[in-house]
Amino acid sequence: MMAWSTAAPAVSAAFLASLVEVVEAFTIVLAVATLRGWRPAALGTGAGLALLAAIVLLLGPVLGQVPISSLQLAIGLLLLLFGLGWLRKASLRAAGIIPLHDEEAIFAAETAALSDQARRQQRNLGWAAGLTAFKAVLLEGLEVVFIVIAVGAGRGLMVPAGLGALAACAVVLAAGAIIHRPLSRVPENALKFGVGVMLSAFGVFWTGEGLGIAWPGQDLALLLFVALFLGAGLVASTLARRRAVEFAL
Amino acid sequence: MTMLKELAAELLGMFVAERRLAITVLAIVAAAGSLVNLAGVDTLVGGAVLLFGCLILLIESVCRSARAGPS
Repeated sequence: MMAWSTAAPAVSAAFLASLVEVVEAFTIVLAVATLRGWRPAALGTGAGLALLAAIVLLLGPVLGQVPISSLQLAIGLLLLLFGLGWLRKASLRAAGIIPLHDEEAIFAAETAALSDQARRQQRNLGWAAGLTAFKAVLLEGLEVVFIVIAVGAGRGLMVPAGLGALAACAVVLAAGAIIHRPLSRVPENALKFGVGVMLSAFGVFWTGEGLGIAWPGQDLALLLFVALFLGAGLVASTLARRRAVEFAL
Repeated sequence: MTMLKELAAELLGMFVAERRLAITVLAIVAAAGSLVNLAGVDTLVGGAVLLFGCLILLIESVCRSARAGPS
């Protein structure tokens, strides 16, 4: 029986993180499809998804062989590095220190790069376009795979976390099919901030369990960690904004 | 080959967004692990070092980047 206090953060972290990554991949696949048609875009996407599936199928049985405390420590450490990195960047973006992620700008840059390739090497453009879609799906998909494994493997929640990621894919594909434009209105930084908070909380929790720390309240400690990382991220962002104002004066 | 390099860079970038942050996280985890498993202190002390170390590190890293100015 899975505890809701562990399952809910795992599923929502997988869903929200996947939403961010799938939006980024979708922007590039859409640029490819707009310029060269849906065939190279679909082929590149399919190949990327197939490789990701192969990676998951290879990793799954290997993870099953690793002792649970070692797995928790390794995944917790990676989650801490990944989550704190996202939270740091999202705090800096919220403070206006680094620019926000702009899907319209990425779409324009990707389209321009493909057009430039079209002028230089007309014959291979279909291949180049497919490769661009393949790379986008593979690179963004690797992050999704890591997040699903990271939030799911420590407590046998791989299937719910995977379903959270699949739901995010479905939402983005449905939205993309309807509007046929980059999904620039997705509040990406707020999502990254929230996901960074959850991944950092999971990171501390798993790392601690891997080190043999018995957290008071067990799984409920995760909720406290989420609140503390949320507070720390907001404090960091506020302090950074003040620094930015002082810097500008 | 270029794609493999990009893939490796992407994987590294996933976990090492900023080198100093990554090294300090490793140091905090090592300190917490040493306290619990080598020094034999109460596991809650190790947990507190891990949790508050990461919280303070986050604030310090964001403020340091802000002091460095917009990128």
